[in-house]
Amino acid sequence: MTTSLRALAFCLLLFPGSAWGLEVVDQTGRALTLLAPPRRIVSLVPSVTEILFAIGAQDALAGVTDFCDFPSEAKRKPSVGGMINPSLEALVTLKPDLVVATRSGNRAETFDQLKRLRLPVYLVDPISVDDVMRLVTALGELTGHRDGAAAVTGDLERRIKAVEERVAGRPRPRTLYVLWPDPLIVPGRDALVSELIARAGGESVTTDQGAGYPRMSLEAAVARAPEVIILASHGGGTPVGRDKWERLESLPAVKSKRLYTADGSVMHRYGPRVVDGIESLARLIHPEAFVK
Amino acid sequence: MTPLVRLDGVGFAYPNAAPGRTRFEIRDLSFAVAPGEVLGLIGPNAAGKTTVIHLLSKVLTPSRGEIFVEGEPLRSLGRAEVARRVAVVPQDVAPGFPYTVGELVLMGRFAHAPGRFFESAADARVAREAMRLTGVETLAGETLGRLSGGERQRVVLARALAQEPRLLLLDEPTAHMDLRYQAECVGLLRRLNREQGLGILLVSHDLNMAAELSDRLLLMSGGAAVTMGTPEEVLQESTLERVYGCRVVVDKHPATRRPTVNVAWPDR
Amino acid sequence: MTGPKKLLAVCAGLALVLGLVALLSLLVGSARVAPGAIVDLVMGRGPVEGTERVVILGIRLPRIAAAALAGGALAVAGAGFQALTRNPLAEPSILGVSAGAAFGVVLAQISGLGQGLVEALGLTAFAFAGALVAGVSVYVIAATGRGLPVHTLLLAGVIVGIFFSAAITVLISLVDTNRLGGVIHWLLGNLAPIPAGALGVFAAVTALGVWLVLGKARALNLLALGEEGAQELGVDAERLKRRIFAGSALLTGAVVAFVGPIGFVGLIVPHALRMLVGPDNRVLIPAAVLGGGVFLLAADTLARTVVAPAELSVGVITSFCGAPFFIYLLRSRAGRVMP
Repeated sequence: MTTSLRALAFCLLLFPGSAWGLEVVDQTGRALTLLAPPRRIVSLVPSVTEILFAIGAQDALAGVTDFCDFPSEAKRKPSVGGMINPSLEALVTLKPDLVVATRSGNRAETFDQLKRLRLPVYLVDPISVDDVMRLVTALGELTGHRDGAAAVTGDLERRIKAVEERVAGRPRPRTLYVLWPDPLIVPGRDALVSELIARAGGESVTTDQGAGYPRMSLEAAVARAPEVIILASHGGGTPVGRDKWERLESLPAVKSKRLYTADGSVMHRYGPRVVDGIESLARLIHPEAFVK
Repeated sequence: MTPLVRLDGVGFAYPNAAPGRTRFEIRDLSFAVAPGEVLGLIGPNAAGKTTVIHLLSKVLTPSRGEIFVEGEPLRSLGRAEVARRVAVVPQDVAPGFPYTVGELVLMGRFAHAPGRFFESAADARVAREAMRLTGVETLAGETLGRLSGGERQRVVLARALAQEPRLLLLDEPTAHMDLRYQAECVGLLRRLNREQGLGILLVSHDLNMAAELSDRLLLMSGGAAVTMGTPEEVLQESTLERVYGCRVVVDKHPATRRPTVNVAWPDR
Repeated sequence: MTGPKKLLAVCAGLALVLGLVALLSLLVGSARVAPGAIVDLVMGRGPVEGTERVVILGIRLPRIAAAALAGGALAVAGAGFQALTRNPLAEPSILGVSAGAAFGVVLAQISGLGQGLVEALGLTAFAFAGALVAGVSVYVIAATGRGLPVHTLLLAGVIVGIFFSAAITVLISLVDTNRLGGVIHWLLGNLAPIPAGALGVFAAVTALGVWLVLGKARALNLLALGEEGAQELGVDAERLKRRIFAGSALLTGAVVAFVGPIGFVGLIVPHALRMLVGPDNRVLIPAAVLGGGVFLLAADTLARTVVAPAELSVGVITSFCGAPFFIYLLRSRAGRVMP
């Protein structure tokens, strides 16, 4: 459990008159105390923005980043700038009572500045699909939208289970996921995409390459003889380098014409759409399981 | 009477010479310059003349022997102290930044009050007088780039005079200069010597100019003294031919009666 | 006595400009704050709580102070290096110190050496350590028994700078893609509001560095004649070189430590000021303290308003704006550049 809910007598003593004192532990283990359910959240993390919309807490969302582009209503929220260089002034002007940030994507200096300005910061650091579920639940607790959160997690769990049932028992093809073609960047240990591939019934050939999304040499990738190759696209259009892969005719994936494109933005955000990612991967890896 | 400077058995070698080249040395050099005297240092290339200037200004330290300035050992004097007594007029100056003539001459006052941030009114007066003496006071606001070679030399001389030294060290003061400048230079130096009692040690390739200006000449070769004496004594045909390795004819200047050295041009 | 009078006039003029730029900078930003409220807050009146207070006193003012301080420090370091190397195109980064400091910071950011240690000591300590290692390396490489020859100093500085830049590149190529953006962002040079305590330390270190250089400004003028020439005039050239090197390296290291690597300021500001006020370091160095502040503050104000609410890196602005300005100055006062 990453969220603990306790009505502390301590809190009540310290702040007489407040009926709601919440001590929260965020996903990095830091504890913060909030005096009331947050009504003006600034989200510096696009996936958190998505989750807040999904659970119905968008009214509590006061500010987002330029990269928070889903759902499209998110683009209408006031922006504080980029993830790496948000404008502190813009942030402060929104009078947030909570800022949500992540260790991978936002800078430590930003976090320090927010601490210095005495703004409560809730850090998220999801790595696995289960972490995403926990994050949805935590945000639901935080914003008082437990029901919305439960609905979302319930729906996601159902869909994941459905996929897993369809691909269960089938042989797992060796799968290469190309996050970026040049330099070749692949999902390694602990990468979200590695887990998505596994759940979708594939066996990623790059889980031993290091943590996160490491670089890999083309030779080493080819030596793994992948049977399925998935190229990530980032914002529409054919991904760069598709022809490069098509020329490697000796690869099993190319011979059996199993060279696919997938929408990267869905796979890389720790939000509800990871399930879309699992589903689309499963359809690519095990098309035979989805024939009606 | 205490000599202005005295070298006593001085030897010098550069510590890190290129391998294969013999280490340049000054060997066992001893001489003195009396107050108010003009000493001319002459000799072929690589005789060590410029090294003597560096040793006297404490830019270099002798490996052997001792140098005395007004009776005090040079090694015991601080740089500023040395600069108050001895001023160097180098062949050319090319400051890395566009300082004006006035600023450059004022730099000569540093040694008198190194702790001061700005120069005093007295410093400014001395500097102005030095510029007047060398005839560059109208150029005070100019940068060196705008000046002729002769004017630049006079600026450097003014800076040296601003140091109010007892001894002036000049390294090839008339090199690359036309006749008019050479004449002006000799006249100026002679005036400074007579009116201010300034001691002068002059290094020059121009034997005739050195003969004209100097009370005594010191002829050096290969780092050692060959002979020292009046111009008449030193500028002997046999001596010069031996040291310079070419035939010369020594004559007398039609006007001043000082010795003049003329090269016997070969293969006529 | 034109020296002191000129110094006073130049400093008064530049202080006025700095004040105006600071005022302008205080009035603009992503957040809209009424000028009246700004005046109140700066005067110590005004609400004790509230967004406006946080924006003006917590964000804008510290950032303005950091910019003015960093700009002044870099300009003085540049002037010092230029006088030391007798080269008007020398720059603080030329002696490898900023590369060393940057390496220290990047190393800390990437390895996140036990998060607690990094947070506690702060990136500033790592930057100083890197600057120290680089500075000492340069000194050790260049120093011979007889002193610190300037050309060897320059070469050693370039070599050490290249080494640390290469080391940074290695680190970057190994870092996780997620963290890459943050590291690269820092390397471009950005100003951020510094907490009051750190600002105080920054100011103190800057003051020390400026004193090291300014205290010997008169002797530094003489160094333009060459080391021999300066010695003949009574200057202890070796001690002077060591002191100027230490002062300039300290200033450069401090800026990288507290603010990050910002290029171009140390090259352009002293050079431009020299064209305006002349090469006398007794006027130039104080002018650099103020003029550097003006330049960097103006650049940073632009950086945080031009594409608001997003922000540009100030290093981008200094490069883009500095070059054309320099060209104009060069062409219009060509005679004053070199003697």
